[in-house]
Amino acid sequence: MDNKLFITLTPGNTFIDRLTGKTKVRIFFLLIFILTFTWDIRIMLPILILSIVSLLSIKPDKKKNVAIIIFVLLMNLFNLFLTWVIKPNYGLEMVGGSTVLFRFTDFFIVTAETLWYFLVRLTKFMASFLLSLAFIQSITPSELAAGLHSVKIPYKICTIVSLAFRYIPDITRDFNNIRISMQTRGLELDSRKSSLFTRLKQYILILVPLIITSFDRVGNIANGMDLRGFGKNRDKTYYCEHEDTQGDKVLAPVVLLLCGILLTLIVLKILYKPLYEVWCPWI
Amino acid sequence: MSAVIEFKDFSFRYKTQNEFTLHDINLTINKGEKVLILGPSGSGKTTLGSCINGLIPFSFDGEIKGSCNVCGLETKDASIFKISEHVGTVQQDTDAQFVGLSVGEDIAFSLENDMVPRPEMLERVESSATIVGMEKFLKSVPYNISGGQKQKTALAGILHNDVEILLFDEPLASLDPAMGMSAVDLIDRIHRDHHKTILIIEHRLEDVLYRHVDRVILMNEGKILLDTTPDLLLSSNMLKENGIREPLYISALKNAGVEFTAEDKLASIEDLDIDRYKDKILEHFHTVKESETKQKNKKLIEVRNAFFYYDDYPALKDISFDLYEGERIAVVGKNGAGKSTLAKLLCGIIRPAKGQILIEGEDYLKYSIKELGEIVGHVMQNPNQMLVKDIIREEIELALKLNGFSQEVTNQRVEETLRMAGLYPMRNWPVSVLSYGQKKRVTIASILALQPKVIILDEPTAGQDYFHYTEIMNFICELNEKHNITILFVTHDMHLAIEYTDRAIVFTDGEMIGDDKVYRILSDDDIIGRASLKKTSLVTIAEKVGIDPEEYIHYFIECEKKERANG
Amino acid sequence: MKKSLAKKLLGTWNTRTIVGVAIGAALFGVLMNYGGIKVTTNTSLTSAYVIPAIVGALFGPLPAALSAGLGNCVADLIGGWGFWFDWSFGNFVTGYFAGLVGAFGADVENGVFTTKHAIIHAVLCIVGCAIGFGLVTPILTYLWYSSELTITWVQAQAAIISDASVLIVVGIPVLYALARRNARGTNLSKED
Repeated sequence: MDNKLFITLTPGNTFIDRLTGKTKVRIFFLLIFILTFTWDIRIMLPILILSIVSLLSIKPDKKKNVAIIIFVLLMNLFNLFLTWVIKPNYGLEMVGGSTVLFRFTDFFIVTAETLWYFLVRLTKFMASFLLSLAFIQSITPSELAAGLHSVKIPYKICTIVSLAFRYIPDITRDFNNIRISMQTRGLELDSRKSSLFTRLKQYILILVPLIITSFDRVGNIANGMDLRGFGKNRDKTYYCEHEDTQGDKVLAPVVLLLCGILLTLIVLKILYKPLYEVWCPWI
Repeated sequence: MSAVIEFKDFSFRYKTQNEFTLHDINLTINKGEKVLILGPSGSGKTTLGSCINGLIPFSFDGEIKGSCNVCGLETKDASIFKISEHVGTVQQDTDAQFVGLSVGEDIAFSLENDMVPRPEMLERVESSATIVGMEKFLKSVPYNISGGQKQKTALAGILHNDVEILLFDEPLASLDPAMGMSAVDLIDRIHRDHHKTILIIEHRLEDVLYRHVDRVILMNEGKILLDTTPDLLLSSNMLKENGIREPLYISALKNAGVEFTAEDKLASIEDLDIDRYKDKILEHFHTVKESETKQKNKKLIEVRNAFFYYDDYPALKDISFDLYEGERIAVVGKNGAGKSTLAKLLCGIIRPAKGQILIEGEDYLKYSIKELGEIVGHVMQNPNQMLVKDIIREEIELALKLNGFSQEVTNQRVEETLRMAGLYPMRNWPVSVLSYGQKKRVTIASILALQPKVIILDEPTAGQDYFHYTEIMNFICELNEKHNITILFVTHDMHLAIEYTDRAIVFTDGEMIGDDKVYRILSDDDIIGRASLKKTSLVTIAEKVGIDPEEYIHYFIECEKKERANG
Repeated sequence: MKKSLAKKLLGTWNTRTIVGVAIGAALFGVLMNYGGIKVTTNTSLTSAYVIPAIVGALFGPLPAALSAGLGNCVADLIGGWGFWFDWSFGNFVTGYFAGLVGAFGADVENGVFTTKHAIIHAVLCIVGCAIGFGLVTPILTYLWYSSELTITWVQAQAAIISDASVLIVVGIPVLYALARRNARGTNLSKED
C-alpha cells in the first residue's frame, strides 16, 4: 500500500533514522532556512554534499529516488534555460559582470557570470531538494509531529499532520475503489476517448462519494479521541519521541552552531546590503 | 453490591431530532456485572451507551430529562474527561478509532493526552498490550493488522487507565467468525481476571452468548423491554418480534417442535441438556425430505488455473472453478485471503497473470472493463461509496448514460429496473432520505440497469440487524429467482451462506481450499480452521444426538427454506 | 442561530474540526498525487483544489486554509518532490477564500447552498487565487529564491487559471451535491 509514498511509517535503522524527531526537524529546518537566506556557494556546497551523503546513508529505494531526482533536475535545467531566453545577461544583475564567452546574436549571449549564477542557483535548488528528500525518507509522520511540537508548534496542529498521514492510505484505497466501481459502470477516464471538460465533469462522479465517505468518519474519529482525553490538557507528551541517542547528543552542539550561522546570516543581510547578491570568485 | 450505573426516569432527545430517542429509562448496573444490551438498529442501544460514556451531552447536544449517574458522577454535569477516567469505550468502528500510526502509539494515546512521561508510558503500554496479547505487535502499522487486532489495540488503550467500566459498542460488527469468538473470549477473560464491569452493546446474540453473560437488557424503540437472564430471554418469544436473530440451535430445536421452559439452560449449548430432546429431534429429522436440487444450468463463467500477483506477492494461486447460470454462491475466507482480488479479477479490473477466464465459452480478455460491466456487475459494501446522484432515478440512469445508450433505451431500461427493484414509486425521491437498506437497494439497481448476468455483492449485510438483513437478502433472492441473475456473495457471514446460497468457495492465503455445498463446507473441521470460520451450533447438536453433522446442517437448511417459502 | 463574526471568519475549533482539517489535508494530498487530469504533458488540473471549498463549507475558512496549506505540505511529503513553502502559503491564502462562502449564509451541512452562494463562491475563488497565487506565492518565491520574476508570473498565472477553474467547475457541483445530500426530505409521497 505505502510503497508508492516517499514517507514511511516504520522507522529505518541507520544513524539518521535513529535520531529523535526533535533533532531531525531542527536540523532540517535550520539548513533549509540557511539555504534560503544565502546565495554564497561556499555555504551551500557543503550543505549539498551533506544532503547527498545523508540521502545515501539512509539507503533509500534506488529506483524511486533516481527517477524523481532526474525529473527535478530536468525541470530545473528547463527553468534555467527559460531564464536565459528571457534575460541572457542575467549574470550582470546578480553577479555584477559580463564576460562574454559566446555570442549567438547581440541579445542572445552566453556570459561566464550568467553561467556562474545558474550554477549557484542550481546548487541552491538541488541542495534544498535533496535535503528534503533525505528528510522525508528518514522521518516517520509521528516523529515529524513530535519534532514540530518540540519547536513550539501547538500540539493540535501537530495532531493534524499525524492524523492526515494516518488516513492517507485509507483514503487512497477508497479513491481507487470508487474509481474502479465507476469505471465498471462505464466511466471513461482515458484521455484519448473524452475531452478535457468531460473528464473534469466526470471527476465529480468520483469526488462526491469520496468526499462524503471521507468526512463521514470525522464524527467517529473525533469521538474516539474525545473519549481518550484529547484536548484535556494544554500540552501532551509523545510516545514516539524516544530519549536522546548518542547521535542526538553529538548533534546538539551542531544545532547550536547552525543557529549561530543562521543568525549571523540574517544580521549580515540586514546590516550589510551587498551590491550583488551572488558571490563570485573572480569579482 | 454497589451500583456503578444508575438511570432514573431518563429520557434523551438529540437536538437535530423532534422525537425522543430514549424514553423513561430506569436501569441499575452493579459493580462487576457483565451485561448485554441487546436491540435492533435504531432501538436506542448505542444512544444509551453514549449516555454512559459521556459523549452525550459532550459531543451530541440535546435535551436530557431525569438522571444518569455513572460512578457517582451525574453525566450531564460532569466533563467527558472526568467520566472517561471511570468508563473505557471500545467503539464499533475500530478503524476510525485507531488514530495512532502504530499499535504502540495508539495504545499510548490517552497516556499522551494525560501527559504521562515517556518512560512510564512505555511500561504501561507494554503491560496493557500483554493483557490483550498485542505485545509483539507494538510497532505494527494499522494497515498490516486485522480488524480483531485493531479491536484488541483499542481495548489495550483503555485498560491502562484502570477504568471500572468497559463499554463495547457492537464489538463483533467488523470481525470474521473466528475473530468474533476470540473477542468474546477475551472480554470474558478480562471480566474474570480484572474484575471490571462489562457492558456489551450488540444485536448478534448467539455470538455474544458464546461466553457467560449475567444479564441481558432488551431494547427497542428507545425503551427497555426486558431486563432478565439470558435463559429467560431465550425461552421468551420476544426475540424475533424485536428483530433479533435467535441462536441457530434454538431455531433448530423449535423447528423440531421442542418447547422450552424457564428452567432450561438455554444460554449455552454446552450446558443445554440436548438428550432430553433427542427423540423429537430425530423424529423431525427423518420427516423432512430433501427438496429437489436445482439442476445445473449452463456454465456462465469458467475460471481456469488463474494466478494473480501484487508486485511479487501472490494474491491468487491456481484458482479454478465454474459458475453456473442462476446460481447463488458464497465466496468466504478471512480478510486478505483473496476474496476481493477474485471479485476484481471477475470484473476485469485486474487480469490474470497466468490462467484463463471464459465467459460463456469465450476468452474474457477480449472484453474491456466497460464491456464486462454489462456482464458482471459489482456492488460495493458501503452504498455511500457508490451513490453519486441526488435522485434515485438519476442514479440508476447514470450507468446507461455513461455507456452511451440512446435516450429511448435508457428511459425504458430505467423504468424496467425501477420496477424490478421495487423502487418505482420512490423514483423521484432524494437519496438522502433513504435508510441503509434502501440505499443498498438503489446501488444494486444502479448495477442492474446494465442488465448484467452476474452480480457480485461485497458483504451485502455487514453491520445490519436481522430485520434489515432479511430485507436486503430477500430482495437479492427475488432477483435471483425471478430474473435468473447469478449472484456471487463475498462474505464472512456464515448465516448468510447457510440460508441463502447453494455453494461456497473458500479461500485462504490466495488459495482455494474448498468448493462445495455449504453444509459440507461447514462440517469440515479442516476448512473451518484454515479459513477462520466458526463451527456452528448445529454441528454441536448433531454430534450430541448422533446424526451426521453434514446431513443435519442440510436438514436445517431445508427446514429454513420451507419456512421462508411459507412466509 | 447566529454565529458571531469572529466565529464565521475563524471557524469553530473542537476535536471534530481538527479531525476534519486532517481528513481534508489527507484528501488534498491524495488528490494532488492521484487525482490530476493531464492537460498537456507538463501541466495538469488537480481536483485537490475542491477540498478547501468543502472543508470551508463544513468547518469554516480558517480550517479550509489549514487543510490546503498543510495538505500541500503533505502532498510534498508523500510525492517526494521537496518542500515548496512558497506554494503552501499561497494555498493557505487561497484556501481561506475558498472556504469563506459559509460566512455569506451558505450552510452545506444543513442543505443550504443556493445560486447566490454559488456566485459568491466563484467570486471568492477568483479573488483568493489571485491573491494567493498571484501575490503571496510570487513574492515569497522572489524573496526566497530570487527567481526571475517573469517566469514566476507565468507560473502564477497558470496556477490562478487552472486552480480557479477547478474550484468553480468542479467545486460548485460538489458543493451542490453535498448540500442536497444533507437536505432533509419533506413531503415525500410514493407515486404510481
